[in-house]
Amino acid sequence: MLYAYLNSCLTVTRRLATRDLHPLCLRLKGWHSGLLRPVFLLLIILILSPFFCASRLQAQTPEPQEIKPVPLLTGSTGFITTFDGGEPHLGPIVTSVLLVPMGERWMMESRATFESDLAEPPGVSGFHGVVRKEVDYAQLDFIANPYLTVTLGRFLTPFGIFNERLYPVWIRNLQTDPLILPIGIGPSNASTGAMLRGGFKATSNFNFNYAVYFSALSTVTPVNSDRFAGGRAGIFVPKARLEIGGSFQHLLQDERSNLFGFHLIWQPQSLPLDIRAETARSRRGSGYWLESAYRLSQVPFWRDALRRTQVVARMQQSFPGALPSDAVASVNTNMFEFGLNYYLMDGWRATSSYGRQFSFGGNKNVWTIGMTYRFVLPLGREGAE
Amino acid sequence: MTRRTIIAGALVLMIGSCLLAIAQERKETASAAVPATPQKAAALADGASAGSPTAATHGRATTRVLHESAMRIEGEKRFRANCGRCHMAPHKFPPRTMATIVRHMRVRAMITDEDMQLILHYMTQ
Repeated sequence: MLYAYLNSCLTVTRRLATRDLHPLCLRLKGWHSGLLRPVFLLLIILILSPFFCASRLQAQTPEPQEIKPVPLLTGSTGFITTFDGGEPHLGPIVTSVLLVPMGERWMMESRATFESDLAEPPGVSGFHGVVRKEVDYAQLDFIANPYLTVTLGRFLTPFGIFNERLYPVWIRNLQTDPLILPIGIGPSNASTGAMLRGGFKATSNFNFNYAVYFSALSTVTPVNSDRFAGGRAGIFVPKARLEIGGSFQHLLQDERSNLFGFHLIWQPQSLPLDIRAETARSRRGSGYWLESAYRLSQVPFWRDALRRTQVVARMQQSFPGALPSDAVASVNTNMFEFGLNYYLMDGWRATSSYGRQFSFGGNKNVWTIGMTYRFVLPLGREGAE
Repeated sequence: MTRRTIIAGALVLMIGSCLLAIAQERKETASAAVPATPQKAAALADGASAGSPTAATHGRATTRVLHESAMRIEGEKRFRANCGRCHMAPHKFPPRTMATIVRHMRVRAMITDEDMQLILHYMTQ
């Protein structure tokens, strides 16, 4: 079966290359010519391949969970003080995530953020600011089978890894955003539309994960979003604890450009070290960041204190694109950051960092210090049922 | 040209380090004598109890214990590999709470169905 499938993939690829396509496919002529069409079709073929295999592997679907999940209110809270170029900012933040499982296959999830950036306006004493309230995402998930989950609503744009997986204050190792974070995630970090995603074991050595999505244009602030379509695919090698992947997005408005991204996560088994990296390239800006975080649990002295301590380093660079952007720096910018985190208890962490930013617009120091806390509150009986 | 060279160099370094890590992992796995999956552990236990009919009951109990033990070991392994990719591994939660979290993470982190079942099993022990 695998041979036949690969053979058919090769045939389609060959036909795409020679443009010997079915007449129906000629309707796709409106697509952008050149590299985009075959790449997009190949992406679709790759994405759809597990579903064809899925129908033959239904018998392998595990039995439904015996434990009935309970609705949860979880999230995080933090208070981060930032000294940005010597100017102090106070940043209280509360993020709540509501998870409502329905039956065996459905889940409604939503995240709301309340945050403020309190600063001292010139000539006025004290810190002032407004509280920003935002629904980051509100989505309905349907777990169709072990290979596919369908998501509808407003969801975090899966371009790269930071926005979707590392953004919450209790997860991120450094409290400042990467310079390239705004690339590819839309005006409010989220998309409005539909998404297909999933992860499955491809071979005994690695898992494959993917997400394809379409977002519609929304101009309603703060739930605005751009019109684009894209996808992300990656492989995860559990034995090596290594994940690599790439993201692609095609903007369906304005300049109708393509965006590309690449990400990597690696945790060597022999060391308590996390290495993460991400690159992004678009017509409105490009760049990369590379971060390593080392937990001092192997240091042979002061074990009790040092096993809770983590040192972090990140370097990043952003380049302006051919088109202007409000979100990405308009000049070449480099930034080096060093952080120190101390885990007081499960979910509660003290965090600090120092960063030096170099750019044509002027160099500056960025200091952060604060606390983060993650909470989990069940909205029902917790025990096994 | 310089940027392309840097990107190509970075890609080569990353792919090289991946291959190195995989090779290292394979070497370590080959030297380990622990059964890799619950099925293998159960099969080992079955093989051990098949020889003597008088020890059938004892063998079944041993199989179940070994199966549970292997599931727990495998679950812990999957838990560390999957959850640690993004955040510090949390402490255990009550079973129904954990079931919701695992379902959420299945969607968010795109962990596989098998990983989800094993992690849930481990976290609810």
